[in-house]
Amino acid sequence: MNLQQLLRLPRYLGASGPPLRRWWSPSLDTIPSVGSWRGQSSRSPAYWNQVVSEAEKIVGYPTSFMSLRCLLSDELSNIAMQVRKLVGTQHPLLTTARELVHDSRHNLQLRGLVVLLISKAAGPSSVNASCQNYDMVSGIYSCQRSLAEITELIHTALLVHRGIVNLNELQSSDGPLKDMQFGNKIAILSGDFLLANACNGLALLQNTKVVELLASALMDLVQGVYHENSTSAKENYITDDIGISTWKEQTFLSHGALLAKSCQAAMELAKHDAEVQDMAFQYGKHMAMSHKINSDLQPFIKEKTSDSMTFNLNSAPVVLHQEFLGRDLWIKQIREAQEKGILDYAKLRETIKAGKGVTSAIDLCRYHGNKALAALESFPPSEARSALENIVFAVTRFS
Amino acid sequence: MASRWWRWRRGCSWRPAGRSSGPGSPGGVGPRAAADARAQMPYFHFVKRLTSAFPNVYSISRFHHTTPAACCHSKTRSGEKYTDPFKLGWRDLKGLYEDIRKELLISTTELKEMSEYYFDGKGKAFRPIIVVLMARACNIHHNNSRDVQASQRSIALIAEMIHTASLVHDDVIDDASSRRGKHTVNKIWGEKKAVLAGDLILSAASIALARIGNTTVISILTQVIEDLVRGEFLQLGSKQNEDERFAHYLEKTFKKTASLIANSCKAVSILGCPDPVVHEIAYQYGKNVGIAFQLIDDVLDFTSCSDQMGKPTSADLKLGLATGPVLFASQQFPEMNAMIMRRFNLPGDVDRARQYVLQSDGVQQTTYLAQRYCHEAIKEISKLRPSPERDALIQLSEIVLTRDK
Repeated sequence: MNLQQLLRLPRYLGASGPPLRRWWSPSLDTIPSVGSWRGQSSRSPAYWNQVVSEAEKIVGYPTSFMSLRCLLSDELSNIAMQVRKLVGTQHPLLTTARELVHDSRHNLQLRGLVVLLISKAAGPSSVNASCQNYDMVSGIYSCQRSLAEITELIHTALLVHRGIVNLNELQSSDGPLKDMQFGNKIAILSGDFLLANACNGLALLQNTKVVELLASALMDLVQGVYHENSTSAKENYITDDIGISTWKEQTFLSHGALLAKSCQAAMELAKHDAEVQDMAFQYGKHMAMSHKINSDLQPFIKEKTSDSMTFNLNSAPVVLHQEFLGRDLWIKQIREAQEKGILDYAKLRETIKAGKGVTSAIDLCRYHGNKALAALESFPPSEARSALENIVFAVTRFS
Repeated sequence: MASRWWRWRRGCSWRPAGRSSGPGSPGGVGPRAAADARAQMPYFHFVKRLTSAFPNVYSISRFHHTTPAACCHSKTRSGEKYTDPFKLGWRDLKGLYEDIRKELLISTTELKEMSEYYFDGKGKAFRPIIVVLMARACNIHHNNSRDVQASQRSIALIAEMIHTASLVHDDVIDDASSRRGKHTVNKIWGEKKAVLAGDLILSAASIALARIGNTTVISILTQVIEDLVRGEFLQLGSKQNEDERFAHYLEKTFKKTASLIANSCKAVSILGCPDPVVHEIAYQYGKNVGIAFQLIDDVLDFTSCSDQMGKPTSADLKLGLATGPVLFASQQFPEMNAMIMRRFNLPGDVDRARQYVLQSDGVQQTTYLAQRYCHEAIKEISKLRPSPERDALIQLSEIVLTRDK
């Protein structure tokens, strides 16, 4: 989304009136569970984009990358200038920056979108009418929109901080040391800049409970990223011995907590009661988990995968595979798939596909999908709720 | 030329020796006075330019009119026995580090260890001390209450945590190997984890901040977080124009050092007293002490080596940073400008720059500037009702000037 489009926003966001409130009861409108839905038969990527773009229409505008204030800041042009200096180096920040630009062009700020949708799905609180003075556009309060942006800021900040390199682990293939040092410096500053903006945005919401929720989400996220680093493949590709329950805990920290707590915070901003907040939390948590498992499964379910395609040895299917097999047998399989110390990912992939890891990962994905749908049942039926359901269907379809 | 106007020897309390007898003041007579006046003028013009460039700076163009009456500031007007401000402050800070560690209670062992690393009780806790002393001074001023509220004490913790988080990140950015006499977090655990540790401390500070339950206080302290980042960015860039450089340097100094102290003081004053005049006093005290603190820090980067037998520091020069002493020196030695522009990155630049600084009066000028800021701080805080804590804050600002690390 370019600056011009963003500047036109205030007029674009015409009042669309309050959301249509229909009488509803849980028994009449049950949501079909995952797996029984028969939708479009197109392959995942195009379908996913369709779900997302329809969702964006419902919330009023495509989710933007950063708030306007951020975009106009000197620091951002400074950062952009510094990142350009990294072109030609091997620093991960360059890759992160490219992915972010790509994502924003394709409007894939998923977390922000979900927060907006759930805000709209919940609507204003029937109990607490004290927030009538907030402005509401397309059924969403401006403070909730702000929250959606803050969520994306926190997510992006940690994406950037994930890309720091350890200087003493550098190989000659990584290029000059000073490039990596410079890249680290810019990555730290950019991440800190995004976090500072997030903190300021949180302060502006004037709600201490929301600040506490998002700050604790940040703490969870930091721990989650830490675990990602620690358990990533070490020598001989032997990863840490973690079972699926530990994997779930760590994945909640690194992927679930932010979305879950943001959804809850969105409810808090509209002064919904604890029960509604909990349902929003559950949706965010389970949807994020199934999304992560889905992306972990991609290398194993795509029909045409290039032989050189690697996969994460700490992903759900692999962890499950190890759990079924037992540690010793798994280590043996890793060794067998190695040739002169280099892992043959294609061979290992076939080994894993032959086991039970992939199918049980699919089951786990659907389990979380169903939990997410169950949480949605307590929200009244609406376009926004359907969009949230469709997102779940999109991440749980594997055929 | 250096020590004509004042003596700032380490260890002795600041006293403007020789000032009162006249050679420094423009009204002085005799050849020596005239020479002084002539030497004084270029500096005065420079200072005049810089104060107009940066209007928020306490107007130091008044310096040649005021007698150094600071030694007559209200010391023990309260009549109570004078104690060491650190001891006085520590009464409220017992358990400071244990409480900070409680905020960092997470299950991930190594990450917890890294985050706790600097909260070992060995730091001087300069910022928390100022915060609790200010809290008491404001409480006493408001309603003679000698208690420190829990929320105010929380601010002390939060200030120290925010400060430490920024240190951890700064050490990675500067590739520093030691701090406070031990290895840095990045050297022990690597850069990736060090950055995460900094983020963790920041998030813990934010949680503690939210729990205070005051949205104004949250806004004030999140501003600090933004200022810290902006301060680092200011360090990345450099200015062409000499006057701009000094203003840029002072702005960076405010954002990186003074903002935290100023805003923490303001936050505790808000929690303790409803009067906005008091809030402003607290803020101004914190800001002026903070800037003075950093200026002296920059001076010590040049001087702390020369009297000691250890190797010279010049850490700032090595990072390409032109601090106060360097900027003043470049007034006398314009040859330094080229080095400043290229951030001392050619071999021999650091040593040459150091030599220029030591030959010039850059150190003295910077120290004098710090003194002016301290004056202002004392002037502000003296507006509060007398109390041991207020006097301790006055004494602290003097300690800022005379410390030798």
